[in-house]
Amino acid sequence: MTCPTSVRVARARLVLAPAPPLNGVVPISPDHVGRTYPPTAPYTVSVAKIAELAAALQDPNPAYAGETPIAPPTFAAVLGAAAWDALFADPDLDLALRRVVHADQAFTWYRPLRTGDTVTGVLTVDKVRCRGAMEIVGVTVRIGTLDGDPVVDSSSTFIHTRETA
Amino acid sequence: MSVEVGTSVGDLTVRMTRAQLVRYAGASTDFNPIHWSDRAAAALGLEGVIAHGMLTMGTALRVVTDWAGDPAAVRSYSARFTRPVVVPDDDTGVEVRCVGTVSAVSDDTVTVSVEVTCGGKKVLGAVTAEVARPAAGR
Repeated sequence: MTCPTSVRVARARLVLAPAPPLNGVVPISPDHVGRTYPPTAPYTVSVAKIAELAAALQDPNPAYAGETPIAPPTFAAVLGAAAWDALFADPDLDLALRRVVHADQAFTWYRPLRTGDTVTGVLTVDKVRCRGAMEIVGVTVRIGTLDGDPVVDSSSTFIHTRETA
Repeated sequence: MSVEVGTSVGDLTVRMTRAQLVRYAGASTDFNPIHWSDRAAAALGLEGVIAHGMLTMGTALRVVTDWAGDPAAVRSYSARFTRPVVVPDDDTGVEVRCVGTVSAVSDDTVTVSVEVTCGGKKVLGAVTAEVARPAAGR
């Protein structure tokens, strides 16, 4: 099977200029690097959500069961998804989730997420590269307690392919 | 058991079906339609619905956490999504195989690399987890 990334690279070469802005909106550009969003609504980690994610990962690890389980490490993606909402709701960037493919991902944990933790995520745009209709965007979501103690940093790169008329 | 570079960490094969993707979408709250709609996947030039990269990455980490025992020992984890895992709309789905090997050892950390393949082809690149000892230093 052909890697779709290379397909898009080939397609992007055919597009000499970025897609024209729709409704006068200038899409995401390197000028947006450094943009940060308000913290996501406080999220409390529950026994039920931990069980749900462990089941989705088909992971029977006993650490995710019982009365006070810890969360699977990649539970951070749940908070990441909430933080990404701000990015896709930002009219300045004109991004659509359905046009996105995840390219890479890195997590750094300060401690595990546990049942009863109430945390928020703060998203910062780290990197933007534009290649015709294709935009490569790097973001970091810092997930921490309401007291400001960091729990996990989640850094993602995604490829957004802009719809061309 | 001593831990040194090259020590085998585990070999896990997991089946992924459309039902599993729906379950992961709900659990992770990643509702990108390329993970459940062939139409949305085709609009991005994909062969069909693909597994969430985070589902594949989370599955691969099981090799590490099963071996370490305590998932809280995982300090960092990173991967590149190099080849999409296309999941057909049937009851069989696809198998993803994850093979972990110790790639570095220091006084306080064991680094594990995981090779993740689907149909014999690598689907993730540079899959690396750092695990704190002594949990990993059994």
